[in-house]
Amino acid sequence: MHSTADFALITHRQAQKTAIATMIAALALVAICFVTIHAGAIHIPPGTATRLIAQQLGLAPVDDSMQALRTILIEIRLPRIALGVLTGAGLAVAGVTLQGLFRNPLADPGLVGVSTGAATAAAAFIVLGWPLFEYLSAPVLRHALPIAAFVGGLLTTIAIYAVATREGRTDVATLLLAGVAINAMAAACIGLLVFLSSENELRDLNFWMLGSLNGVTWDRLVFVGPLILAATIALARFARHLNALLLGEIEARHLGFDVERTKRWMITLVALDVGAIVAMTGAIGFVGLLVPHLVRLMMGADHRTLYPLSALLGACLVLLADLFARTIVVPAELPIGIITSFLGGPFFLWLLLRQKAQGAF
Amino acid sequence: MLTANNITIMRGSRRILDQVSVAVRAGEFLAIVGPNGAGKSTLLHCLSGALEPDEGSVQLNGRPLSSWPARDLSRRRAVLTQSPSLGFAFTALQLVLIGRSPHMGSNPGRTDLRAAAAAMQETGIAHLAERSYLTLSGGERQRVHLARVLAQLYAEEASERYLLLDEPTNNLDLGHQHLALSAARRMTEQGVGVIAILHDPNHAVAYADRIHVLHRGRTYADGAVPDVMSEGLMREVFEVTARLLRDPQRDRPYIVLWPGSRPASINDHPPERRHACSLP
Amino acid sequence: MLAMLGWAPLAQADCTLPVAKGPIISIGGDVTEIVYALGAGDRVIAVDITSRYPEAAQALPQVGYMRQLSAEPILSLSPSLILAIADSGPPQVLDQLRAAGTCLALVPDEHSPEGVIKKVEAVAAAIDRKAEGDALAERLEMDFAALRSSLSAIKDKPRVLFLFSVGEGAPMVGGRNTSADAIITLAGGRNAIEGFEEFKPASSEGIIAAAPDVVLVTELTLAKLGGVEGLLRRPDIAQTPAGKAKRVIAMESLLLLGFGLRTPQAIRDLARALHPGFAAPPEAAN
Repeated sequence: MHSTADFALITHRQAQKTAIATMIAALALVAICFVTIHAGAIHIPPGTATRLIAQQLGLAPVDDSMQALRTILIEIRLPRIALGVLTGAGLAVAGVTLQGLFRNPLADPGLVGVSTGAATAAAAFIVLGWPLFEYLSAPVLRHALPIAAFVGGLLTTIAIYAVATREGRTDVATLLLAGVAINAMAAACIGLLVFLSSENELRDLNFWMLGSLNGVTWDRLVFVGPLILAATIALARFARHLNALLLGEIEARHLGFDVERTKRWMITLVALDVGAIVAMTGAIGFVGLLVPHLVRLMMGADHRTLYPLSALLGACLVLLADLFARTIVVPAELPIGIITSFLGGPFFLWLLLRQKAQGAF
Repeated sequence: MLTANNITIMRGSRRILDQVSVAVRAGEFLAIVGPNGAGKSTLLHCLSGALEPDEGSVQLNGRPLSSWPARDLSRRRAVLTQSPSLGFAFTALQLVLIGRSPHMGSNPGRTDLRAAAAAMQETGIAHLAERSYLTLSGGERQRVHLARVLAQLYAEEASERYLLLDEPTNNLDLGHQHLALSAARRMTEQGVGVIAILHDPNHAVAYADRIHVLHRGRTYADGAVPDVMSEGLMREVFEVTARLLRDPQRDRPYIVLWPGSRPASINDHPPERRHACSLP
Repeated sequence: MLAMLGWAPLAQADCTLPVAKGPIISIGGDVTEIVYALGAGDRVIAVDITSRYPEAAQALPQVGYMRQLSAEPILSLSPSLILAIADSGPPQVLDQLRAAGTCLALVPDEHSPEGVIKKVEAVAAAIDRKAEGDALAERLEMDFAALRSSLSAIKDKPRVLFLFSVGEGAPMVGGRNTSADAIITLAGGRNAIEGFEEFKPASSEGIIAAAPDVVLVTELTLAKLGGVEGLLRRPDIAQTPAGKAKRVIAMESLLLLGFGLRTPQAIRDLARALHPGFAAPPEAAN
């Protein structure tokens, strides 16, 4: 017969398994960061990279002969890696949250319309925003596109939430259907914008929809990065709430959780998280779907495990995909969304088949 | 004491519940019985606080349910709803420990594990602890959820708590039906007041101290088992011809039905005429 | 942490034009043509995917599409100068390139003979080939002037519909203020589309209503639409005067729309096709 001691042992083993998996994932992320710091169109030898970073941190005297490499490492590659980590972690955590919130393992930031809302706002800004440019000052202009995307994501989520909420309670089925409807409208808006746009603008839109980490600079990252980081960390604090919410909203309420407040917070944070990410990178698909599933397959459904592991693996996935994107066709590069979609598309189909076969996940 | 005072629930112009009053004391087992559509689940939703009545009030220890902080409330009463759906691969133990949410921080402590062990042994699922919920049968799932609410109310010392069960024997075979009801019954010994919606009047007769009979949204009868249970009640509320016998060993009534207990002629008639038909 | 890494808005590191020596990366088909024409082709080490002329440029490494450049691979080639047509981007990558200490010269892009001259002058100034640039500009001006005067005699301006397809879906038609519109006008034609600007998906009724006398397409588009027969089989084209008279002109897209050195040739070819019997002035010696 199983006793308290047995259960303590089981729980302890689970915690140990989580700790080991987290450590492995963290080491993998460090290793991938190490590789991506040194690999690229220009190979930077490990010693050189370390010296450059030490110089930048003021730990060693600046060596002017290394100026070109310094620019490449410090100004181009490091912000890109930082954005890759934030994007991967943020999208995976947003995916975990939405799947829990909707009690649907197929939910993805694209599903509630946050991604498409943000992308539509960005598209509208690219095509229709030019007259504004004469009136905006240079620093505002620099951040205008990210701000547009972020506001778009937030407004879409608020709109969907408002449609699906009655008397302060959100019905998940209505929420999902509202997401479908708003996605359809956003698609129509993008279609209209493509119709209105000239050839060059059209090309920009296409690349934007596929996503890319290209061209990120510290001054853009310093504006949006902390936002992504804060939203991601704040979301991960809802692990226990989500565990209970998976049983149903009423059940979670009976377990003492303030369900309405939790939902409001989670939706706002997801909008912030995804909106900020889409603003920086465009729409990188499937990370929010792929990563949580892999973690669930290996570690089970407990969100206390799911959140940290998904964040780490999401960061690994995006960094690796970006490494391919920027090294596979040198000196040009692929949009990263093409690579994640190549990985994610078949995976999604496999999930659907699996669901058909088992009736559950 | 958990009390509902004259509560009414409207759905459009229809009264799902009409001026229903019910109360359960600590340590008492109250069964709610009635035919389909009588308003049993709605009443339980009101008692759990999931549903705000249009008229009347629900109070725990004399204080309106809505004024209780959610966490305090969740430490004093647990609710088993009808077959919560779950499509994620929690293990049975993880699910039972989710029931301890009101009591623990992010990780389970000694008491939480004791609660889980006790509840899973009560419901006979301790051996399933590491199995994924998704691989369990319907009956095993039902017992996991029952263990979860038992764990939620687990306390080292007797104290006043309430357990609300909506058809706890769903999906269970005969042996496990009685295992589940016995587990609920044992909770009353530690000061837990149990309110259970029961399908089978014999379950109510065997396990409950008191029976509340709902019929078409109204209280038909409320009282101790021997006072309430009668052949007339079976006929008028459940529309079956039943015999009430007495178990000489336990000195309790039990209900016997046989093929043809329900007159075929009343099946397809609206309720008003049905009532007239069933009277001699 | 970020502050310690020394982030700051990127600024142009020291670079003074012209850059007389050292390797060049050329972005934009028209820009590449001009660099080669000015005799600096041997300095070019990489181009973008639109640089398909002259042939020598095709053999060079390609840095991708001009509007989706990436800083690191470009810097890995250690250019002394990046010559890029206006509208190259994205802007933050241009910032990164400047910050890395590479000279970046943006070449203005206007769809007119004057625009072509400006391009030549800008490229010549950047690569320190002033004399060659002036000579080239002079020849171009003479060419344009000769074409202008001989085309001014033509009073009968046919209505020209420009069609081109990108990817799947309906072909696009060229509206006002497009490069297609400009070259049609220069060659003594009239754009059959007057109702809108930019390139838009074509509607069958719109094509019939435009009543073009001639259909102008790029060679790739013609191939995609199934050759001249395929094009003329389209019910909408068949309805138009151009369809009935089977008047279809196909030209290479970079020649037709590039507004570079070969634009006089484009005008000459298109004018000959539009106006049977048109005697083009001789080319200025090149």
